[in-house]
Amino acid sequence: MVRIKERYLLVNIIYPPDAAVSRARVPALVAQHQPTIAKLTPQALIRAIKAEVLLLYGDYGAGALEGNLSVKYLSLATSTFILRCNRAHYQLLWSALTFMDRVPVKDGRPCIFRVVRVSGTIRKIEEIAVDRARKLILKAKAEASSHPQSSPSMDLLAKDDAMLEVVDSAVSDEDMEDGS
Amino acid sequence: MLYDLNIAWSPTTPTDRLLQTLTTAHSLGFATVALNHTLELPFPANPTTPFPALPSSSSSSDSNNKNKLPHVLHRATLPLADPAASNYRLPSLVSVYDLLAIRPLTEKAFQNACLTLDIPIISLDMAQHFPFYFRPKPCMAAVSRGVRFEICYSQALLAADPRGRANFISNATNLIRATRGRGIIISSEAKSAFGLRAPADIVNLFNVWGLQSEKAMEGLRTIPRSVVVNEGMKRDGFRGVINIVQVVKKDAVEGDQTDDQSSAAEQPGKRKNQKRKNGGEDAQPISKREAKKMKLAARAAASEKKVS
Repeated sequence: MVRIKERYLLVNIIYPPDAAVSRARVPALVAQHQPTIAKLTPQALIRAIKAEVLLLYGDYGAGALEGNLSVKYLSLATSTFILRCNRAHYQLLWSALTFMDRVPVKDGRPCIFRVVRVSGTIRKIEEIAVDRARKLILKAKAEASSHPQSSPSMDLLAKDDAMLEVVDSAVSDEDMEDGS
Repeated sequence: MLYDLNIAWSPTTPTDRLLQTLTTAHSLGFATVALNHTLELPFPANPTTPFPALPSSSSSSDSNNKNKLPHVLHRATLPLADPAASNYRLPSLVSVYDLLAIRPLTEKAFQNACLTLDIPIISLDMAQHFPFYFRPKPCMAAVSRGVRFEICYSQALLAADPRGRANFISNATNLIRATRGRGIIISSEAKSAFGLRAPADIVNLFNVWGLQSEKAMEGLRTIPRSVVVNEGMKRDGFRGVINIVQVVKKDAVEGDQTDDQSSAAEQPGKRKNQKRKNGGEDAQPISKREAKKMKLAARAAASEKKVS
């Protein structure tokens, strides 16, 4: 019995901080990862993604993602969601997410969808989601407590963050080889 | 270290929005960005830097401003339509901006920029349709000459009409084909924070458009870094080759001052030596090999005379 190969995408919604908010002494980090206020439902999200794919890739893209695209997890409080799709077409889904620029509800706020991790198993993705949330809280706390001098641990986190982005795609390639 | 060498800026950009863009860029992982000022062609005779003073970019010094900023460079882009562009007083801009780029608008200007102009970056407005296509020869010549092509992904993201996006994809794939993915810098040309994307997203997007992911990563890291370092070198260093990294303090070397003096005495002598080699004004000690060569030449000349 051959298993159907899938990809899971961990996505963050990022809100670039407004000028007004940054003046109100909220750290940029917290402002960027602020909760999603809009009443975003998984159905609305799926619909918006499918519309974007249809716009960019036409019937071919819509057909490729038909039936196997689903939202596995959606947390408005952390502005995080996990998508599942067919392994062969995950790049198509990812590029469609890159092209989306606002929260898919009526009069949605402009935002950036940032794919944080691509993996072959949902367990790994969950671990990373939890890990990232914890790191974010630690970082925000460190920033709030000691703003004059940035602590070395915080810089380390930031470096890790930047590196992660680049390692990311390599990991997903590796996963692909493992899976096949 | 990730680079984004093009963040759109004009004198009318409000500082608030600029700061928002910069903090977003920093949080997405970009360590160095360049503010891009697009010049109009008859630019003033002695240009001055138009950029606003930003709060210092180093993260530790500013205590009141918690939002960290990336390292900011200044860059000028010159739109060119006229092929005879060698006399645009580019050197006068060099001292004002950290980076220079050319945006060719016609085929002639593009060829000229590829083959002769002395600039580090060729940037193209890819959302428009070009009446020519990128031939591999001038493109590869430019890459091997050290000129880099820049692709600004925000032109595709924020393109209002689907036509612009299609044009962008066609131009980008053509350029990638012509250069085989070599020497391509990826930058945003974001007018606001919403035009920026995370590095991994960009790499995936370019992978979809046919640029291998390693090359795309190079276009975010190694290649822009080499451009920045080279340009810095050209401005600081002596003839773009020698740079003074650090000067040793005087009291630290006081102990071996005598040594210093002796070496100073030696130097003029050395210089004389070199001069003699070049000019050959007082060539008293000829080496044995030299003498032999001259003798041979004289003999050959003599034999030739005999024959004639």
